[in-house]
Amino acid sequence: MHYSQKVTKKLVPTGLRFLSGPKRKYPINPDLSKDLPVFQYVQSKNKYKRLFSWGNAKTGALGLKGIIDKQAEYLRSPKRVSFAEKFEVRTVAIGFGFTTFAINSDTDVKLYGTGVNTDSQIGYHAIRAGHPMEIIYYPQPISLPFKNPTTSKIIKLSAGRAHLMVLTSDEGVFLLGNNAYGQCGRKIISDENYLKSNLVHHIEDIEGKRIIDIQCGQDHSMLLAEDGSVYSSGWGADGQTGLGHFRNTEEFSRVRGDISDEKIVQLACRSDFILALNDKGETFGWGNNEYGQLSLPNEEQQLANPTSMDVINKLGKIKSVASGGSFCLAANEYGEVYTWGYGLLGLGPNVELSKKPILIPCTLFGKNDFQPNNTVVKVVCGLNYAAAVTNLGDLFTWGRNKWGCLGLGNEKDQYFPLKVSLGGSVEDVFCGIDHTVALCKPFI
Amino acid sequence: MLVQEAPIVWNSLKGLICVYKPAEVSVHKMRKILISKICQEMNSLEGRPPSDYVAIEGDPSQKLTVSVRPNFADHPLVVGPRYQNQDLHVSWSNFLGFYTNGVLLFGIRDGTRQAKFIRENRPTRAYRIKGKLGEVTDNCFKTGKVVMKSTWRHVKQEHMDRFLSAMQASHQKKMFEMCGVDIQSQTAYELAIQGPIRPANSKIPIIYGIKCIEFQPPEFTVEIQCINEYEDYLTHIIHEIGQKLHSTAHCTGIQCIRHSRFTLEHALLMKHWTLTNLLKNMDVCSKILVESGENLPRKSSRLV
Repeated sequence: MHYSQKVTKKLVPTGLRFLSGPKRKYPINPDLSKDLPVFQYVQSKNKYKRLFSWGNAKTGALGLKGIIDKQAEYLRSPKRVSFAEKFEVRTVAIGFGFTTFAINSDTDVKLYGTGVNTDSQIGYHAIRAGHPMEIIYYPQPISLPFKNPTTSKIIKLSAGRAHLMVLTSDEGVFLLGNNAYGQCGRKIISDENYLKSNLVHHIEDIEGKRIIDIQCGQDHSMLLAEDGSVYSSGWGADGQTGLGHFRNTEEFSRVRGDISDEKIVQLACRSDFILALNDKGETFGWGNNEYGQLSLPNEEQQLANPTSMDVINKLGKIKSVASGGSFCLAANEYGEVYTWGYGLLGLGPNVELSKKPILIPCTLFGKNDFQPNNTVVKVVCGLNYAAAVTNLGDLFTWGRNKWGCLGLGNEKDQYFPLKVSLGGSVEDVFCGIDHTVALCKPFI
Repeated sequence: MLVQEAPIVWNSLKGLICVYKPAEVSVHKMRKILISKICQEMNSLEGRPPSDYVAIEGDPSQKLTVSVRPNFADHPLVVGPRYQNQDLHVSWSNFLGFYTNGVLLFGIRDGTRQAKFIRENRPTRAYRIKGKLGEVTDNCFKTGKVVMKSTWRHVKQEHMDRFLSAMQASHQKKMFEMCGVDIQSQTAYELAIQGPIRPANSKIPIIYGIKCIEFQPPEFTVEIQCINEYEDYLTHIIHEIGQKLHSTAHCTGIQCIRHSRFTLEHALLMKHWTLTNLLKNMDVCSKILVESGENLPRKSSRLV
């Protein structure tokens, strides 16, 4: 009784509660805080996006050389690219050892590139006349022949092994770089010197139809017209072009097969197997099938005709697809991710090969009792690794960790999806062969 | 109505109780208050009568007389009250800091064993933390000296949500790194697909869930589900949130709303601490303990 009275006496008049605690040598004078200045921190602009890159730094594709330690050959965890602080980056494309950035600009320089430039895939950059640079360590401007630079915008970039495609809002597609197999959609010139080439190929439209999407494979290119038809050109030894033959193609030609009557909305390809998604959420595939990406009754390894993938279509409406060197990913409308093929599939060290799609447990993408509405909205494949973006703006990576391209702070291969620590909420991620770039929205 | 015999009550006074700790009363003080409160009330009950003193008196060569009379050596007026503070063993299973209020578990007598198991099982705790934007204090709590001021009107709820979800995901990544298994092994994969897991180390705080449940600038409340946390860590989270939102913030209150499966509705207020209420509470707690299995040492590191 004695104690409880004492306590209630102290606790009941909450308004008068005296904040005690450790005694201070100099008691606080609350009036002093009134004289303090009020700081105002800078807020980011609406269109501002943060860019992070990591992976192999030797090629200069990170755009960070000189900023990171000169001895460092690779970057194991993400670092912010200062290029995006100067320019408003719209989108990025990653090829094999080079990176290009599309920016908001009123001039004809809407494109910057850095990295390997052996085939002028990021433009002609010469310090001395006639001696172009084969490697570039900082993002350099690439001037494109726009008719109307003030109104045109770059919508999408896509890059292959040594060529680059630039999709603009009003002026069609620009193609740069290697054309040894016809991947730029123009005549193959034998012994063409790509290093000293200053040529930009331009395709205004395709059979009179506006081009709405582009996708580069390793050595071939694809265009998506506004009516949902697909056109392809380039290296076709494994049937990558999907034109029904295994020859190289010099001109963009209509892809038929099972997709001839379908309205395709998304194309995915990093290497030699292509996945296409139609407006109903059904998937089609063609190309190199060595790793069982597409199960066929006759065990055919090269497929030159687009084929409907019934096994995948059973998984519900597919929202996002990705195809890497030896495996594929698909995310359905419920945000579940399925994987099949060969390699580090993200199902632990024991699963290396699966011809049927297997669900990657949602808990690995952060879905649990504390975060029940967490779903995967986008999947992206590098050559030997994969990445997924969730609706809450988190990035998860797994696969072969060559040159630290997973950005997990180490060089160990990762057998299941793990979050990459980034200072922003991820909007898009771009994967290549040994480096990765993420485009993020700042938290504020 | 409680039985009036003190020994019967004493025998049933074994187990775990769930109490509400107010802010600015330390856990040590709470323990002392609880002990003296129980002892006081026990002593007011009908205590054990003093043992008998058997005296065999007389001349040994003659016939001896045997008489039985009260033993003064066992009388409360000689040896003191029957129930004394040092006889009652009480220990807590979760320590709450000085400024924290909320659910607190005490093990009484044999219940100290259960309290130990709960402590060693490391269940998650949930907190509601209040913060205020615009000012930083030297100890990140409202009691400190204001050292810096900043604007806060640009901070919107969506910014807060975006940052907190990123923070939560980063902590869950940390969770895999801390689980004590080689991340490249099949074991690590099997642990990871089960969902949240406990870290091997019991010193490093891990946040499993964090979200903003109330946002009325400059004030906001976040709810945190965590493990291995301590008061300073929680106040510094608020400070960090303020920094990351391009403003400043300090903590104005911390409330523990859940410890394992014990929630605020089970917690007994200090003013209700009577033997009857405590025994009732003990009964409720033992049922929850059996349901949750927290009374046994845990084997797996899986969280839920």
